[in-house]
Amino acid sequence: MIRRSFLAVSLCAALTLAASAKAEEIQVGSHMPLTGSLARSGQSFREGMLVAVKLFNESQSRHQIKVSLIDDESQPAKAVGAVEKLVSDGAVAILGGYGSNIVGPASDTSNRLGKVYITAGAVSEELVRRGSKNFFRINNNAGYQRGFEGMVEELKAAGVSIIASTREAPMLLAKGLEESLAKKGVKVTLHAFDPAITDFKPIVNKIKLQDKPDLIFMSAYENDYVGIIRAAKVLKPPVKLIAGAWSLAIPKMYQDFPDLMQNVVGTTPLPYPVDVKDEEGKRFVAGFKAMFNKDIDYAATLSFVKTMVLCEALARAADAGTLKSGGLADEVRKTSRSSPLGPIVFDAVGDNPNFTLSMGQHQDGKIVLVSPAEQSTGKIAYPGLPW
Amino acid sequence: MLELSQQAIFSGLLVGSVYALVALGIALTFGAMKIINLAHGELVLLAAYMAYFIESRTGWNPYAAIPLAFAVTGVVSVAVYLLIDRIREHRELNSLILTFAIGIVLTNAILLIFASDVRSTGSPFLQDAISFHTVYAMKSELTAFFLSLAVMAALWWWLKASWYGRAVRAVSSNRDAAMLMGVDPRRVELAAFLVAGVLASVAGVALFTMSVVQPALGPALTVKAFIVTVLAGVGSIPGVFCAALLLGVTEAMTVTLASSALQELVGMVLFLLVLFFMPNGLFGARARRG
Repeated sequence: MIRRSFLAVSLCAALTLAASAKAEEIQVGSHMPLTGSLARSGQSFREGMLVAVKLFNESQSRHQIKVSLIDDESQPAKAVGAVEKLVSDGAVAILGGYGSNIVGPASDTSNRLGKVYITAGAVSEELVRRGSKNFFRINNNAGYQRGFEGMVEELKAAGVSIIASTREAPMLLAKGLEESLAKKGVKVTLHAFDPAITDFKPIVNKIKLQDKPDLIFMSAYENDYVGIIRAAKVLKPPVKLIAGAWSLAIPKMYQDFPDLMQNVVGTTPLPYPVDVKDEEGKRFVAGFKAMFNKDIDYAATLSFVKTMVLCEALARAADAGTLKSGGLADEVRKTSRSSPLGPIVFDAVGDNPNFTLSMGQHQDGKIVLVSPAEQSTGKIAYPGLPW
Repeated sequence: MLELSQQAIFSGLLVGSVYALVALGIALTFGAMKIINLAHGELVLLAAYMAYFIESRTGWNPYAAIPLAFAVTGVVSVAVYLLIDRIREHRELNSLILTFAIGIVLTNAILLIFASDVRSTGSPFLQDAISFHTVYAMKSELTAFFLSLAVMAALWWWLKASWYGRAVRAVSSNRDAAMLMGVDPRRVELAAFLVAGVLASVAGVALFTMSVVQPALGPALTVKAFIVTVLAGVGSIPGVFCAALLLGVTEAMTVTLASSALQELVGMVLFLLVLFFMPNGLFGARARRG
């Protein structure tokens, strides 16, 4: 009996070793802003990517993805250098970084070197207008826009004041919303602000005394959200709701600023506590918890999805024997799958037309999906303000 | 419009007082040693993170962190000075490069230790609003304003009345002559750096209570402080305070009367105009005449 068990274990070990020995290692490069002004998002991107690679490598034995990561320090020039280095080191594709101004030149370089570049952190329309055959992205400006527009319609808001950073992505979203909401008869006022601003009271006071809207929408980043809501808490403009774009409806914001986040609404793919329906999402949540001992967040989810999409395409191209002959871009383009972010497909310019987000509201430490109605997991507090 | 302008002026004065707190340290080292410490913003940031550390660990008022913040910024200030002191040639220029590099090291050290999350006080008391007729402010902003006034007065007194203060002025005026009078310029410069560290610690804690901090904030603070220092003119401590208030009010009025997107641009235009028409700054020439 003991001898038989020993033989079985030895056979299993031998088979495993043989399988590992046969597994083809595929080298992928990645640049992310692990330091600098975009480090917070970059760190989340890194975590999502690492979980995706681990889960993919564990899910099959034919291909092993190996990622080399370079910190681009939130600087476009460093990102370009990183792509060149990664490709010269043998990377067959690039998992892209964060920020349109960084992704733009980095993906240009990747395209020039004939390598596929996939990102989930750049929403500028310019990126998909270039006609690059090697560029793909998971998210886009239209997805964020649809999320907020839908909520404005459901709430029948008559006026919206948009406070937008002059950085590329927030301004793109703000201008898109200004145009589309105005067409729907909503009174929109746009207040652009320089990213260096820390005191938002003069802007909020203009909203209070001149605009008098139903909703305030913040197209900005975490530090701006805190400054704007704090100014609003001091001046108390007569609005019914405060909403914002990315990185707002995340548990971390409530944990760090509980007095500011109650009832605030932001774009989000998932409610909190995390409730994922699909198997892949569940594996991601468990894998993320095991690796980093925390719950998934929005940026990590984006990065996870883009990495899984690339890993699968790499495996398909390797199986077809086209990986080294330029077949990877075609395999990425053939992607048609569900994901924790919804269905993923790519159009002719590498954009994902299905990308759309729900709106989630901070309610006592939870994030409740409140719009669109068919996705909602709870009732919106409206009027609902942090004060 | 009157109500808007009143709030803008009030907000501008409060923000300007924090600019002054941040700028005083740079003004001191620039005035005393002709050295622009490009890592000063990171020192302020370091102090802000000390306030975060104390508040998050103990729940105490962030101002209780000033002694710890001073201990940390003091040590770093001394280290910065000792490195600058090793420069033998072209000290003004080489110290720029050196302090710029130190700033990068400090930013990344903060990033490693405290992560990239945005931080600010959670104290409800400090965030409470106070209104004066039609204008509003947080308690933390008013506290920072009065603290800034007190720090400026203390620094002014130190430079005028204390032995070390007079020695700093003597070294800044004529290093060789000061040495002939028995002043050790290295000790005096070290004292100036230490006092700049104290100023950075107070500024950092005040910043944490009324604004948001994150590791990448340092260079922006340094730039703002440098603008204020140049606007004021070298050697004028009350000038720094007035220039900072002027910058704060100009920025806030720009937001109110024009566009918030122009705020930084108008600050820079003001800076360039003063440089062009009054190269000694708004208060520098008058101080020298006095």
